[in-house]
Amino acid sequence: MSTLLAASSDFVGESIQKFIESTGIVGFFEAMGWQSVVMICVAFFLLYLAIRHKFEPLLLFTIAFGMLLTNLPGANLYHTELFAGGHVHWDIFVNQAGLLDYLYLGVKLGLYPCLIFVGVGAMTDFGPLIANPKSFLLGAAAQIGIFITFLGAFALGFTPEQAGSIGIIGGADGPTAIYLTSKLAPELLGPIAVAAYSYMALVPVIQPPIMKLLTTKKERAIKMKTLRPVSKLERILFPIVIAVIISLLLPSAAPLIGCLMLGNLMKECGVVDRLSKTVQNELMNIVVIFLGLTVGATATAEAFLNGRTLGILVLGVLAFGIGTASGVLLAKVMNLFVKEDHKINPLIGAAGVSAVPMAARVAQTVGQKENPSNFLLMHAMGPNVAGVVGSAVAAGILLSFLG
Amino acid sequence: MNWGWSEMLWVALISICLVFIVLLLLVFIMKFFGYVFTHRQAAAAAATVAPVVTGQLHEEEIAAIMTALKLFKTEMHDSESEVLTIQSIKRAYSPWNSKIPGLTQVPDKK
Repeated sequence: MSTLLAASSDFVGESIQKFIESTGIVGFFEAMGWQSVVMICVAFFLLYLAIRHKFEPLLLFTIAFGMLLTNLPGANLYHTELFAGGHVHWDIFVNQAGLLDYLYLGVKLGLYPCLIFVGVGAMTDFGPLIANPKSFLLGAAAQIGIFITFLGAFALGFTPEQAGSIGIIGGADGPTAIYLTSKLAPELLGPIAVAAYSYMALVPVIQPPIMKLLTTKKERAIKMKTLRPVSKLERILFPIVIAVIISLLLPSAAPLIGCLMLGNLMKECGVVDRLSKTVQNELMNIVVIFLGLTVGATATAEAFLNGRTLGILVLGVLAFGIGTASGVLLAKVMNLFVKEDHKINPLIGAAGVSAVPMAARVAQTVGQKENPSNFLLMHAMGPNVAGVVGSAVAAGILLSFLG
Repeated sequence: MNWGWSEMLWVALISICLVFIVLLLLVFIMKFFGYVFTHRQAAAAAATVAPVVTGQLHEEEIAAIMTALKLFKTEMHDSESEVLTIQSIKRAYSPWNSKIPGLTQVPDKK
């Protein structure tokens, strides 16, 4: 009887010990367990920013939750080793993969950013850009920040591929940044996505001081000529022409531009309203959930808690700032060559850094402070959507050089 | 490929130029589009204006003008001032609203 009791107590003790060892709590006390605690705190902070302050909540919320899930010890939802070296290790994938590993395939294969671009295209009005094609130049100028940051990142010791991925933060376009990073430097996906979306939320804080610094009161009060009406045929031809031209010139930008223009054509042609509504709502929302969760999942303690992340955050804000300044300065230069009644308000140049429509709203707000009767929003939407095209082109160029 | 500073600088420079060239090309294409479409619209607008023939009015046109005039005249009102101001309140005397006849007369018992 006593041996039976002793054996039972051993069994119970072992079982309890096994159970305790299998819990995630033990993981916190293992070597480097403190890193998981720090990352969980970062996830909580991002959740706080998304929920309390509404900082890009649609993406920051899901990214933060993905970050939380991936850093819970023992949960085994995401495994970096399955994607080590920039490849999917299919031989061990089925046996080891967790839920987020399966969802991450959409990022790895470049599906989610392109699907999001279909939705973005369906929600974008290219009318102001068609009415004022010069806006394309402002969209191009705002991409200068990407390439200066590319050099800055290289100077800080990043590889050219990593530098290109960090530079694209200056494009202020989340899907483009994620697409390029997943192709060039997937190991930096977490920090780059967090930096890109955080700075996009901070556009109203980052841009106004730069805009005010580079313009005079008189320039900020410039009233622009009303845009001409754009016919339906022009709106239908625009996405077709842009998709064909850019895809022929830069095949590496074709997935992004092609999807953007597909969505826009769905909206403008008016015969596939059901599809247009679906890509704007259901498809977009589903992909946003998957993209946010999986991008957040890549922010593991090893990938996030190092000096590189700090460098990425600093370079990201630098890229944003230079992009804003370049757009404003080019608008000022363009004003030297146009007649008095065709002057451009330099504030709209800052909207060239994508971040649709936040950057255009910032231009409107800053402009109205100088002249309350000035409505710059529609004028700023031109460079704003040109910035989306510009950053996709810049990503395509970087991909063709570094990919 | 071995990446050094010279390669990086060239890549950055070429990339900036390429972004500008591609988007400048789009500016020209869209300008051309705008030119074609604005002229098309102007031509279409000019084509839809009916030729004006002086001194000749068709019966339908006369009927339409007369109907319009009739409707206009019947709908017309005198123009009145929309300002309504109470100038004074004056109540003319009337035994019906006089206070004295309304009071109960106490019989005079002598």
